[in-house]
Amino acid sequence: MLGSPSLRLVGKRLLMAVPIVLGVSILTFWVLNLIPGNAAQQLLGPEASPDQIQQLEEEMGLNRPQVVRYLDWLGGAVHGDLGTSLVSRQPVTDELGPRLAVSGEVVGLAFLISLGLAIPVSLLAARWPNRMLDRISMVVSTTGLSVANYVFALLLVLLFAVQLAWFPAIGYTPLSESVTGNLRSLALPAIAIAFPLFCFYTRFLRSDLVDQMQGEDYIMTARAKGIGPWQVLLRHAFRNSAFGLITIVGLNLSTLIGATVIIEQIFALPGIGQMLLQAINTRDFIVVQACVIVFAIITVLANLLADLLYAVLDPRIRYGSN
Amino acid sequence: MAVTEAPASSVLAVDETAPAPARKWLRSLAIGLPAGLLVLIFGACFVLPLVAPIPKPTGGDVLSSSLPPFSPGHLLGTDPNGNDIFSRILYGGRSSLIVAISVNLLGLALGGSLGALSAHFGGAVDTIIMRVLDVFIAFPSLVLTLAVAQSLGPSQRNTIFALAFFSIPAFARISRAATLRLREQPFMVAAKLSGTSTWRILVRHIAPNIGPQLMTFAMLGMGIIMIIEGALSFLGLGIPPPAPSWGNMIAQGQLSLSATPLLVVWPSLALFLTVIGFNQLGEALRARWSGR
Amino acid sequence: MSDTLLQVEDLRVRFDQRGRRVYAVNGLSYRLRAGQMLAIVGESGSGKTVSSRALMGLLPPSATVTGSARIDGVELVGMPEPEMRRHRGADIAMIFQDPTRSLNPTMRIGAQITEAIRAHARVEKDAARARAMELLSLVRISDPQRRFYEYPHQLSGGMRQRVMIAIALASDPKLLIADEATTALDVTTQAQIMDLLGELRSRLGTAIILISHDLGLAASYADDVIVMYAGRAVEYAPTRTLFAKMRMPYTRALLDAIPRLERQSHARLPITPGQPPDLTALPPGCAFEPRCARATPQCRTSRPPFAQHEVGHWWACWNPCKDGEPV
Repeated sequence: MLGSPSLRLVGKRLLMAVPIVLGVSILTFWVLNLIPGNAAQQLLGPEASPDQIQQLEEEMGLNRPQVVRYLDWLGGAVHGDLGTSLVSRQPVTDELGPRLAVSGEVVGLAFLISLGLAIPVSLLAARWPNRMLDRISMVVSTTGLSVANYVFALLLVLLFAVQLAWFPAIGYTPLSESVTGNLRSLALPAIAIAFPLFCFYTRFLRSDLVDQMQGEDYIMTARAKGIGPWQVLLRHAFRNSAFGLITIVGLNLSTLIGATVIIEQIFALPGIGQMLLQAINTRDFIVVQACVIVFAIITVLANLLADLLYAVLDPRIRYGSN
Repeated sequence: MAVTEAPASSVLAVDETAPAPARKWLRSLAIGLPAGLLVLIFGACFVLPLVAPIPKPTGGDVLSSSLPPFSPGHLLGTDPNGNDIFSRILYGGRSSLIVAISVNLLGLALGGSLGALSAHFGGAVDTIIMRVLDVFIAFPSLVLTLAVAQSLGPSQRNTIFALAFFSIPAFARISRAATLRLREQPFMVAAKLSGTSTWRILVRHIAPNIGPQLMTFAMLGMGIIMIIEGALSFLGLGIPPPAPSWGNMIAQGQLSLSATPLLVVWPSLALFLTVIGFNQLGEALRARWSGR
Repeated sequence: MSDTLLQVEDLRVRFDQRGRRVYAVNGLSYRLRAGQMLAIVGESGSGKTVSSRALMGLLPPSATVTGSARIDGVELVGMPEPEMRRHRGADIAMIFQDPTRSLNPTMRIGAQITEAIRAHARVEKDAARARAMELLSLVRISDPQRRFYEYPHQLSGGMRQRVMIAIALASDPKLLIADEATTALDVTTQAQIMDLLGELRSRLGTAIILISHDLGLAASYADDVIVMYAGRAVEYAPTRTLFAKMRMPYTRALLDAIPRLERQSHARLPITPGQPPDLTALPPGCAFEPRCARATPQCRTSRPPFAQHEVGHWWACWNPCKDGEPV
């Protein structure tokens, strides 16, 4: 495989990812330094004297030039040390792990729910286009794309937590404590994130499948073989749509990170989104910086992974097309 | 005599949709309906408070707090601070719409020209601009906006700047792709060969051709910005209370969700209707431009 | 006739789309013997492709097919889809114009062939694979062991069309419809594919309907030729008869449209003036009349019947060309 087109593609993409992550870190550093009113002031409260503030600043190394501080931070970051929180005085990396696990679980569940529903619904809709199910799925997904996720989340809370009391409105039960409790506490946030994704995937997949079924010659070839309609749809049309879907899922991950901030806030989940929001409000810019870098790496890696999967799965790229 | 044969697919790629008159009617309805809805919303937010006796959105009387809908003088009732909800919806919509329009205009003007220039010049200029935009795009958009919004301090103007930060790269990408496609067109080649100045090419040839695409994207962008602006205000990082915005109204309503869900429902409904109006108008315009 | 494989009678296809009614095929009748090669020739929109897809039930739902088409006595028109599926591929197979687009780009060649084999017979995977190799050799693809595992984009255009033929032959169909099967290929490859089709016909006894806009191609390979215009047959004869005694002015025009070496290099090709007919509103008279050099007032008002005017030679014209007479 050495020197194969897909391997070269991976190398190229990885190389392109490095300056992007670096750029993000510089940009974050610069933006955070624009914040009027520094962390020392924030920590000591309004009554602190200028001397106290200066002392704390020196202690935290805040008085050094920006470039030095950035390079210092970068040196640590390369070794997996993202600094020490200005507020909790704990290493940021220690806190990131468990919080990433919570956010990862919510987002993972959301992907499972959205794809698990969108794929069968689109297949059924494309099998009988313009029939009842197709029309319903189109109306739902079009409308759903216009609903803000926080609005949808509050509707879920109102219906399933307040009215029916099926799920807790807020809070998080760790997996180690209770599996069902964990799933119950994550159900509403996962559905809130999954719904817009479901709408998006259904719209894409349904129209891609229908376009293929009506317009592609290889579909005609497949039908001319005398194989059944489901086999044509699954083996020929869906197979091709799956490649596009993978790319879209990869690109979605970066928008999802934005969604976790607000959804974790609504449901009081101890995820990385909540961590970021708290850090922004306390101006704990070491933590903000760490969260943003983690987000950027996840985004870049997700896009890379989507490209890779695409390259591994699509033979036209795998074997180099002319 | 035509002896070329169309590819097999086009012979049979028959569109299975409504007949011609109905299609035409549906198509104008597809544009007219959301456009009408938006005119209604804009009218209500910008004109109605000027001509009708609408109470002020702030500074309500605690004595008349939490009134139910259809109370005398308060169509949708009042919130816990005694402010008229209907009035807050109208004024909140006004500030949300101003933010969304400003952000999209900034994105359209700056991002659009950045993308067009990048594609037109190509080479190193293009590479540098696109790499910088890649950084912005890899930047989790809401996160960046949050950080910027907080660092600038919550206000309407800062919300606009913060959101423009990530609408510009999106517009730039669209406009770059559109310009690149345009570059292959014969009339562009002709304009270049005949020594037309760069400025003239950009203004006379590129701008009018990528305009419709960018406008369509701006329509869809309006919906997205309305939602994100709501999210920022919801998190307390957008338009600061007591000034109303749909986002901070929803956030305020969340506090008493089980007791008075209507506090959340009204601004949510307003947001939904506006966003679906922009989305549907954008989709209808896209369908029209792509000639389907 | 006892050896009739396919009997088409008064086949009509119309499309109802966007409130318009398009009459694509308007009463086509012909008969095909087992092992015969019949060419159906005409411009785009003449109904040649639509009429052949109607045989396979491969038209979109907006199409309405009436009339009759019987293969081995079994009526195909109006056959319910599940039953139609048993005939598709098994009795009638089809290859298309553009081999690049008609093979699934994301599936291996082998999988696309074995799928066709297993569509109509319970065959184990290994047996299907062996059969696919056999088919690949049959269509003269060298190194079938390797090609079996390759993807369409790794093959040349000619090879792709050979694979298409292998797929079509997977279930030993009695009839193969080649819809502009060589149009997208270069001249050399075109000849190779046509030779292959001719060879397969004589080896396997498969009847072939050759759909083409190219009268020259038909002349070189087909036993009989049907010329179609505006959804109707306008001339039908054994190939030799047709070229010896061309009767329809339209057929003559088609022939003249083929560039020939003996012409002066800069001589302009004769172009038949006018537009192809509007299939939503066909005239009461001859559909070719507006473009015909030999048209008379009669042609405008009444349609010439399609009838056997000479032995084995059918045509539909009030003023047919005489032997050797220019148009």
